[in-house]
Amino acid sequence: MPASHTVAVLLDDALLTLNRAVGVLRRRNVAIEHLALRPSDTAGVSRLTFVLKTDPATADRVVQQFHKIVGVRDVMLVATEDSTTEV
Amino acid sequence: MTEMLTGAQILCRTLVEGGVDVIFGYPGGAIMPFYHALGDHPRLRHILVRHEQAAAHAADGYARASGRVGVCVATSGPGATNLVTGLATAHMDSSPVVAITGQVPRAMIGRDAFQETDIIGMTLPITKQNYLVQDVAELAAVVREALAIAQEGRPGPVLIDVPKDVQNQKTAFLGLGPRGSGLDTRAPSPNPQDPDGVREAARLIAAAERPLLMVGHGVILGNAYTEVRALAEKTGIPVITTLLGISAFPDGHPLFLGMPGMHGEVRVNRAIQHADLIVGIGLRFDDRVTGNTAGFAPRARIVHIDLDRAEIGKNVPVAVGIVGDARDVTRRLAAVVQPRTCVPWLEEIREFTRPRAAAFRGDLAPETILASLYQATEGRCTIVTDVGQHQMWVAKLYPYREPNSHITSGGLGTMGFAVPAAMGVHLARPHETVWAISGDGGFQMNMAEIGTMVQEQLPVKMAIFNNGYLGMVRQWQQFFHGKRYSCTPIWSPDYVKLAEAYGIPGWRVKDAAALPDAVAQANDHAGPALVEFVIEQEANVYPMIPPGGSLSEPIETAPAAGD
Ligand SMILES: Cc1ncc(C[n+]2csc(CCOP(=O)(O)OP(=O)(O)O)c2C)c(N)n1
Repeated sequence: MPASHTVAVLLDDALLTLNRAVGVLRRRNVAIEHLALRPSDTAGVSRLTFVLKTDPATADRVVQQFHKIVGVRDVMLVATEDSTTEV
Repeated sequence: MTEMLTGAQILCRTLVEGGVDVIFGYPGGAIMPFYHALGDHPRLRHILVRHEQAAAHAADGYARASGRVGVCVATSGPGATNLVTGLATAHMDSSPVVAITGQVPRAMIGRDAFQETDIIGMTLPITKQNYLVQDVAELAAVVREALAIAQEGRPGPVLIDVPKDVQNQKTAFLGLGPRGSGLDTRAPSPNPQDPDGVREAARLIAAAERPLLMVGHGVILGNAYTEVRALAEKTGIPVITTLLGISAFPDGHPLFLGMPGMHGEVRVNRAIQHADLIVGIGLRFDDRVTGNTAGFAPRARIVHIDLDRAEIGKNVPVAVGIVGDARDVTRRLAAVVQPRTCVPWLEEIREFTRPRAAAFRGDLAPETILASLYQATEGRCTIVTDVGQHQMWVAKLYPYREPNSHITSGGLGTMGFAVPAAMGVHLARPHETVWAISGDGGFQMNMAEIGTMVQEQLPVKMAIFNNGYLGMVRQWQQFFHGKRYSCTPIWSPDYVKLAEAYGIPGWRVKDAAALPDAVAQANDHAGPALVEFVIEQEANVYPMIPPGGSLSEPIETAPAAGD
């Protein structure tokens, strides 16, 4: 069942790493509801947050792909919300 | 000791340090400083190809045959874009390739300069990592890291784009000494200990009545032949090898079943459909293997062992996923598993075997050709195949006995792969025989590389299965498009004269009587040689699972006329 999955990624603050990360979202053909990039608490590390609207298995597949990117330090599935309860 | 070196010299030095001994490439404006420096580094043998695509495939073939990084080099713009197919091929098949491209000078980047192309952007989705080197001070570290990333964990291609002015810039260089970086051997993968997964897998194996081992490329990449064989023999579980897993398990072994999937043998696919447990090692359950996943192995629980955690559960649901190196995990599994046999199950599978329908007319059948190749080489050669019907015939009919002796473009299915990849295989295994087997279509894609073989003295043996068609597409047209052979008949030159033009021997074989002599003579010839087999025009590969179909419903004969 589709739900909204919020994923946070800590990655090197480099355009090419960001490009690769966004490329994964495009390549894996998933719907993105929201995408944001901001500095993290650590210098040289950015925090990319996005919300995927998809089933849990697909969300997990996307998360796994992020682990493979050189320059990605951590990937967390921070929240899952049933889309029917969404405001 | 630090020295002042140019970027171009640093490229050469770090490659030598990393254990690289051969590079495949093609020069041009933006990579000229590198080519200039190359002259001072005789340890780097450069193979001048006829097209950059061939450089990438040759580097890939070298990597697959040696287990070490294959390196290719091209200039900016068209040189770089010509590498793309080869990099995508290496990416799909997890092959450690490093590509070095020249780029326009930094000040010109972003201005659509002459021969500027965004090769970084173009190769993002088909490389493990890529770099635009903006500062010569970073170059040595980048090359060392690229060589390491290409081969660590699940291998794959890495691209380094070096602007021309960075190649000319000087910086202090601290060498590590040849091979001092320790990157020339495959780095052991980080292996998360997963004793629970292994124990659970062993428990499932003990409880299963109809277990199967499904073995993929990961077993070849991870050098896990002995471990897989030990696991199979301790448990009596029959073994299936995927297209890229072929030669990971000896063909003649009593537990060997064959290849699954779209063109798999009926008994193999039926075994999958009846299995209650599948232990997959180093494979990714590709759609050419599973058919429609909804109908794949409906009774089986799946244990999936793979180095890449993103593969676990990607295509099929798994009961137990174990992330780790095929060799380590299989060794641990073989150690804890209870000895058993699978006699009734093997009996059942034997019943699935059907006599192969007489698939070929005429006496120059693919199996006859491959039998004579086996005879001439005594089964001791590496076979590199192209893509199409001949690829499937070789996969199904050639009895591989040496580990990693079958090399093909599996994931991308790249026509034109065989001839250049075979050059790389020869350089990795200079004392062994390598045969490149192509169709008349794929051969014509990269046949210019005969020139490379002659100039660089690469004694590759080339076989062409000439059916006058783009055979595999013609077969699909026959089955699924009402036999409308739209744009699949393909003209060929006189290959014997072509060979002659390049100064190499060539044979045209039209019947079985001429076969053994031609194959033996080509095989024994000291240099490159070519043999054309004129085969039945409309021969098909059977059985066939239609795309998206279930493994339970193979096509075993051609549709009746008028269908
Ligand atoms: C570069 C490339 N273009 C197109 C295809 C699609 N394709 C797959 S098999 C095939 C026919 C191959 O014909 P041939 O090389 O003569 O081999 P055969 O099937 O006859 O053995 C084609 C066109 C491909 N796999 N690769």
